[in-house]
Amino acid sequence: MSYSNLPIRRFLLHRPRFFGASLAVVVLLCAFVNSSFAAGLAIEIIGGGANQIPITVVPFAGEDRFTQRMSQIISADLQRSGLFKLASIGSVRPLPSEPADINYRYWKSEGTETMVIGTVVEKTDGHAEVRFRMMDIAKQSQVLGFSYTVTVPQLRMTAHKIADLIYERLTGDPGVFATKICYVTKGDKRFELQVADADGFNSDFILAHREPIISPQWSPDGTRIAYVSFERRKPIVFVHNLLDGTRTVLANYEGSNSAPSWAPDGSKLAIVLTKDGTSNLYLIGADGSGLVRLTSNQSIDTEPSFSPDGKTILFTSDRAGSPQIYRMRADGQGEVERMTYEGSYNVTPRYSPDGKSFIFIHRNEGHFNVAMQEIASRQMQILTAGGLDQSPTFAPNGKMILYASEIKGRGILAAVSSDGRIKQRITAQSGDIREPAWGPLPNNRRKE
Amino acid sequence: MKVNLFALSVSLLLAACASQGQKSADIEQRDLFDQQQAQRQQDVDKQAKITQEQEELKRQLDEQQRRQQAQNDQAIIKPLPGTGVGGSQLKGDAWTQLKEPGSPLAKRSVYYEYDRYDIKEEYVPIVEAHSKFLMDHADLKITVQGNCDDRGSREYNLALGQRRANSVKHAMVLLGVADKQIETVSFGAEKPAALGQDEDSWAKNRRADIVYPNEPQ
Repeated sequence: MSYSNLPIRRFLLHRPRFFGASLAVVVLLCAFVNSSFAAGLAIEIIGGGANQIPITVVPFAGEDRFTQRMSQIISADLQRSGLFKLASIGSVRPLPSEPADINYRYWKSEGTETMVIGTVVEKTDGHAEVRFRMMDIAKQSQVLGFSYTVTVPQLRMTAHKIADLIYERLTGDPGVFATKICYVTKGDKRFELQVADADGFNSDFILAHREPIISPQWSPDGTRIAYVSFERRKPIVFVHNLLDGTRTVLANYEGSNSAPSWAPDGSKLAIVLTKDGTSNLYLIGADGSGLVRLTSNQSIDTEPSFSPDGKTILFTSDRAGSPQIYRMRADGQGEVERMTYEGSYNVTPRYSPDGKSFIFIHRNEGHFNVAMQEIASRQMQILTAGGLDQSPTFAPNGKMILYASEIKGRGILAAVSSDGRIKQRITAQSGDIREPAWGPLPNNRRKE
Repeated sequence: MKVNLFALSVSLLLAACASQGQKSADIEQRDLFDQQQAQRQQDVDKQAKITQEQEELKRQLDEQQRRQQAQNDQAIIKPLPGTGVGGSQLKGDAWTQLKEPGSPLAKRSVYYEYDRYDIKEEYVPIVEAHSKFLMDHADLKITVQGNCDDRGSREYNLALGQRRANSVKHAMVLLGVADKQIETVSFGAEKPAALGQDEDSWAKNRRADIVYPNEPQ
């Protein structure tokens, strides 16, 4: 029996014990299940990869003593990626938790190729020790094996890290389960900038105001978020430090201040100001110093996106009459090159993490969809089928794209794999959810 | 046949009633005319009496005032309405003028086509009226707020909203308004006037609002 035949209740994960915001993530395995969600964000998976990798995740010995059950979190992560087929653990008992326990002949007869086993042991002072191994059943050998000693609340993030290791070993790409996302919620006269784990758990707001918040962008090291707030009755760019909760005004010039994009070294940002007339691109130090103008013309230039190597910037401009995507050198020198020619409305470019392609919003017969274009070949592919998609953001491994969409007039988040095959829908318990930004890989973090 | 006779008698009766009705209506009308005449005479008498009483009252008041004036031996200072000097009085008039129903000054929004920021012909009178008003009141300042419908890109819409606000400012400055009297700001798609996802709502949201920050509500 595969997981997809199990009742949905089975996948109702536990509510986090910390932070006031009550959240539960429900992983649905079918697009057409009509279910009422318990609370918070709900993630629904629509479709899946063509060749899913079979894997068996065995409940970790001792995990049921904790609210955060390792095997369930790991399974839900892998399942959500759409790239794995999670096999049933069958009826054989006891289940293995150490390599010596594994009856290879039995599991091989069950068709098992890869198996994840492990243990969780409670330690003193609120700590726990997690040991996990990924086993190749055919070769009867260990592929991966790590142990972690963490505080009990860190068990959830530890499970995400384990899922990342499994994902990377089996797909060749880094996993993004242990990353963070941020997004804006709009309730009744209240906007909140929320930060959450990539699976929607542990969400908490870092800013709440009755005026709108847009365009959040993570610093490359994941310690700061730049965003545009209207709290002073006009758009101003702030940089918010997540470590100590302080923030500084990055740009508050006459007119609009908006569209921050971090340079890959985190030392400066490209922003958009209208202080000299229409929207133009500028560079500014991360501390607000050293403002340099990059473009100067009477058309709209906005939505800069730094290339991963920091050498070029993609941006939106209506210099040719309709908004299209252009590329320029990050030092403002040289020729500006037009990148998009299909259609009369192409906006919000975002470089892929490898710098070889970019995603953007493309209007096609009145529909606004996420599209991707390879820079070298100029091949464009429309990835979504919604009507009002906005604000696409790449997962830091480049495999998924998170974006804002809407269902029946309500703002939701959705995700699509970069090949367009796997789709997810993420809805908040109430109100609108919008303006997503996917944070960097954890190892990008630097001590300051 | 019996039925026919009955029908005939009914119709005759009806005719009789009708003529009777007509007759009584004539009488009634004459009566009314007489009554009106009488009423009018009464009114005239009444009015004459009231005027007489008022004149008497006025005479008494004047007499009283004269006596008081003679008593106090002081000058009477009488304000002349509508010719006041000093900012507050003038401002009050200006605010009234701005709210005059039917005046283009009472209209504060310029609406735009999709992805456009040029001012349509029908909104030129509004821009002209506010320009003249600002030139007449050089101490007044306005904010022009640009807005967009929420499709597409929030950042591009923010830029487009700025262009819409700029288009109004530019037109006003060309008409002679001082640059420093007009501040522009864009709210992009963030402050929709209508929340629906249909052309009617979108059209209401593609606009520039002329705002007088100090205007009394």
